Amino acid sequence: MIEVRDLWHIYEGKKEALRGVSLTFGNEIIALVGPNGSGKTTLAKHLNGLLKPTKGEVIVDGMDTRKHRVAELARVVGYVFQNPEHMFFEENVFREVAFGPKNLGLSEEEIEERVKWALREVNLEGYEDRSPYSLSGGEKQRLAIACILAMKPKYLILDEPTTGLDEKNAEGIKKIIRKLYREGHGILLITHEMDLVLELAERVVLLYQGKKVFDGDVKEFFELDLRKYDLDRPRLLTISEEIGLGFFRSVKEFVKALEMRT
Amino acid sequence: MMYTLYLERDSFLHRLDPRVKIIGSLFGIITLILFNSPILLSLLFLLIVLTLAILGKITIGEIFNVLKPLIPISIVAMIIWPFILKPWYFGLFIGFGYGIRLLSVALLTLGLIMTTPQRDLILGFIKMGMPYEIGLTLTIALRYIPTLYMLAQTIMDAQKSRGLELERGSFIQRAKNTVPILIPLIVASIKTAHELSIALESRAFGASKRRTFLHNIKMEVKDYIALGITFALFFLAVYARYFLGVGYIKLF
Repeated sequence: MIEVRDLWHIYEGKKEALRGVSLTFGNEIIALVGPNGSGKTTLAKHLNGLLKPTKGEVIVDGMDTRKHRVAELARVVGYVFQNPEHMFFEENVFREVAFGPKNLGLSEEEIEERVKWALREVNLEGYEDRSPYSLSGGEKQRLAIACILAMKPKYLILDEPTTGLDEKNAEGIKKIIRKLYREGHGILLITHEMDLVLELAERVVLLYQGKKVFDGDVKEFFELDLRKYDLDRPRLLTISEEIGLGFFRSVKEFVKALEMRT
Repeated sequence: MMYTLYLERDSFLHRLDPRVKIIGSLFGIITLILFNSPILLSLLFLLIVLTLAILGKITIGEIFNVLKPLIPISIVAMIIWPFILKPWYFGLFIGFGYGIRLLSVALLTLGLIMTTPQRDLILGFIKMGMPYEIGLTLTIALRYIPTLYMLAQTIMDAQKSRGLELERGSFIQRAKNTVPILIPLIVASIKTAHELSIALESRAFGASKRRTFLHNIKMEVKDYIALGITFALFFLAVYARYFLGVGYIKLF
């Protein structure tokens, strides 16, 4: 359980990025949404201790983030940054994935086992000897997830995991996210892509100007007037409403309903 | 994080043509090298501080702040001299002069940067004959300092999230810990540079030999007067040093 209690964050130079946000989450897929500068990343960076609260507190499985180092919190909360290239530095994929577990001080066998397991989870088996920089965009994103996964965190924060990827690669990432959720991970998606929210999220938290303005079920979320928060409504919902078919989470479901009707 | 040393003020020094300020700083540095009398050097230091404070509206606190990181070096410069010159108090006296000289040279250069916007400074150098390409390179380099700083922060956060601990371990361990930061940073920098060069070329950079400037600088009467005074003071200094033999102590 991650508990955020009345969290305030004021950056040096007095910009108030978060103004009293409270949030509790466990094993679920949450989408953290909001326009640029709404405080999404600031909030996410508190969950593994990269930022410390100016006021309020963040408790991760009983650990107060102010009293624990990022390296300790990283065992519990994995944070996959937006640009995978910002973390690659090893000569091959195997060593890249092994970096996290090595930092945790695990044994050689344990590390090898975890690397194999993590690469299997993201369908990158057989890539062990490739250079991380030689991979395609989708593969890099999957490798980034594997790097964090190998540390076996209970919670995963994914920052814009599908941005810039083509349909096929994005689909691959979505599959991985669903699988990780089924395996018991709590997943926090930071995203602008409303299609992704519609398809994956159980619950949506909307930040606006450093405050939480919505926290609830996806269906309810899409009943909000999203233009007020500079967010788009998924095309799928607009179309299905137009022809009077109700709420669908994916094109597949929608098509099925259409076929049923005709 | 302070990205630039420039301080926005409405002062005489700020309005002065950058070329005059560049020449003034250069003459100032030469003057400081001409003399080694600690008393004279202290007076020159005081003159620079007062010029910046009165003509440039830079506060004493701000001057102290930019000089602070240089104080240890100037102290080292000072305490070396008693080992070279006997008796020790005479060495210390001369060393004090050298310490002050170091701070003065730094303050002249920093003063130039503090009172001149980056763009004008580089424009000044270009108008004085520096090739435009070098000017542009300088501008880009300065422009990218904050960008790279932010990028380094992001990379550090990403690696900390993988359990990297930058502040722990022995000196060698800490040096090793910078590798996961430096490699992504270098790769990203090279990529950015490559993209930038494509962007420059697609905007026809280098197509014409003769360039015009959107924002121009022009010498006015006050600039010519200031330039005249600068020259006069400099020749006075040279005259005093070589014809009157003032301000130089023969050491060996």
